[in-house]
Amino acid sequence: MNTIHLAPRGHIAKPGGKSRASWQQRLLSVMLVAGFATLSVVTGSEAIAAPAGKIPRLANGKPDFSGIWQTTSAADYDLEPHSARRDGGQPVPTGPGVVEGGEIPYLPKALEQKKKNFAERESADPRNRCYTLSVPRSVYYPEPFQIFQRARDLTIHHQFGHSVRTVHTNNTEHPADPNDWWLGDSRGKWEGDTLVVDVKHFNDQTWLDRAGNFHSDALHVVERWKYLDPNTIEYKATIEDKNVFSRPWELSVILHRHREKNFQLVENYCYTLDYDKYYPVPVEQ
Amino acid sequence: MKKTVNFRSLRIPALLSALFIAAPVVASAAEEPLPKFQREKTVFKVEEGKWKGQRLADGQPDVQGAWSNTIGNHSNLTQSPTYVERNRREGEAPAREVVRPPSRISDPADGQVPFQPWARAKAEEFAKHLLDPVKPEYIEPLARCAPAGPSKSFMWHGFDIRQYKDYVVFLFDSGTRVIHLDNKPQLHQKVKLWNGDSRGHWEGNTLVVNVGNSNGKGRFGRSGEFFSENAKITERYVFDSDQQKFLYHATYDDPTVFTRPFTVTIPVRRVEKFAHDNWNNILFPAKHAGKEKILERYEQICTENNGGHGNGGVR
Repeated sequence: MNTIHLAPRGHIAKPGGKSRASWQQRLLSVMLVAGFATLSVVTGSEAIAAPAGKIPRLANGKPDFSGIWQTTSAADYDLEPHSARRDGGQPVPTGPGVVEGGEIPYLPKALEQKKKNFAERESADPRNRCYTLSVPRSVYYPEPFQIFQRARDLTIHHQFGHSVRTVHTNNTEHPADPNDWWLGDSRGKWEGDTLVVDVKHFNDQTWLDRAGNFHSDALHVVERWKYLDPNTIEYKATIEDKNVFSRPWELSVILHRHREKNFQLVENYCYTLDYDKYYPVPVEQ
Repeated sequence: MKKTVNFRSLRIPALLSALFIAAPVVASAAEEPLPKFQREKTVFKVEEGKWKGQRLADGQPDVQGAWSNTIGNHSNLTQSPTYVERNRREGEAPAREVVRPPSRISDPADGQVPFQPWARAKAEEFAKHLLDPVKPEYIEPLARCAPAGPSKSFMWHGFDIRQYKDYVVFLFDSGTRVIHLDNKPQLHQKVKLWNGDSRGHWEGNTLVVNVGNSNGKGRFGRSGEFFSENAKITERYVFDSDQQKFLYHATYDDPTVFTRPFTVTIPVRRVEKFAHDNWNNILFPAKHAGKEKILERYEQICTENNGGHGNGGVR
């Protein structure tokens, strides 16, 4: 309870330690040379992902996801398939759901909590308190976000809350014993042209959608970011949480590049709205 | 369930208690102890001119990394004669002898904000009630996790600069600023933002930024100085080609609040080679298999800390 760490412990690198991912990555690189198209066919479900047009790349050859992105899915209303309903005064459109297999595999006790969350969703959704969204919700929340990318990392800057996540792609590992974070700790690896991001060290203060789907601080997310074409990213996330779900499950959404003329991110610090009125600018006295 | 604690909520009380002394310096055993970040009593000079340092692939001067203010902090913008007394908490030991930093106002020469009389009174009223916020407006917006805005962001904790084609991105402890280098038009004047909307370009070693669309709700410091949403702010970041220091100048032109334009100047140094101190240097060594020292910045999010002053900075 109330674990407070002024600074994380155990951050000493282990010289000579071998990373399991590194040989996988090397193997995939070899396969990549053999032909990514072949790999796509082999993995079956990736068939729709055949690249159409040249995707942007960094100087090091890796896909460059720089740009402003947003989902058009209804994932944030409810990840699971659902009929039209009202959330308070607001109509919620029917949604086919974005969860593979349809339903989220809750543990029995957690399902009770989810039902409670659903019943109280209008007041209890942490988004309505303007808390920073977690991963993956920050990705499919219906506001744009901007990716800035360098070889060593991706900086993902969300309009909602103006929150920032760094995805490290420099072969660093999760810190050993950190605080619980809103957006978790993100470490990315390249599998061919797919960015695979391992995210953990979350807090338990956020939900996965407006319907009360939730997680604990044991949440572990593996994201897969892949270009379908130069203006479309296929985003997949595998969700694991031993306290809440009976098995890992997967969701998938499509992200579209904003191409409107002069489009840019603006601030949305919605948690400041309640006290904006206390800070009038005394322009006339 | 673990209680969620962010670094901000720790740092403010930490500064005010013995906890700060006990805070571990994060460094691997194999490393030499790093020097402590030294506050400076004078403002160093960096002249505008050519950039002779390294460049990025897109031609920008390479100024990426972690930086921090070297002089004073957000407690006071000018050389206030009374601030130290005000900031002393009830029941603490008598005030320490503190060498006060010089004013961050470089123009006018007297180091004072050229306030119109009514505005000076407003600022003083705020400062008077900082520890006694009998009205909501006396709670500093930053204490409620609002972004610090220009220029206070540069007097607050250490920050990151990341550069990209068409952008310079500042990651502050409280909010992020994206400086557009891409010649996009400024946002419509009806859009008002805590950090404003920034358009920049490089002139030799100097990043020149026009900041519009400020909401005028922030403060320059706990000493209460403010500007309005009508302010035209021009920033000049003058980088030394050694890539170790820069001078931040911000000129505020706001006839609704001030009698004349004035300029804030803040000296800034790179911090990677200093010890982690949870204030100037908030970088942590990354865990990895290689021997190279890699430093990284952890999440800085304050939205849940939405109450009275910073969980202890002021009660």
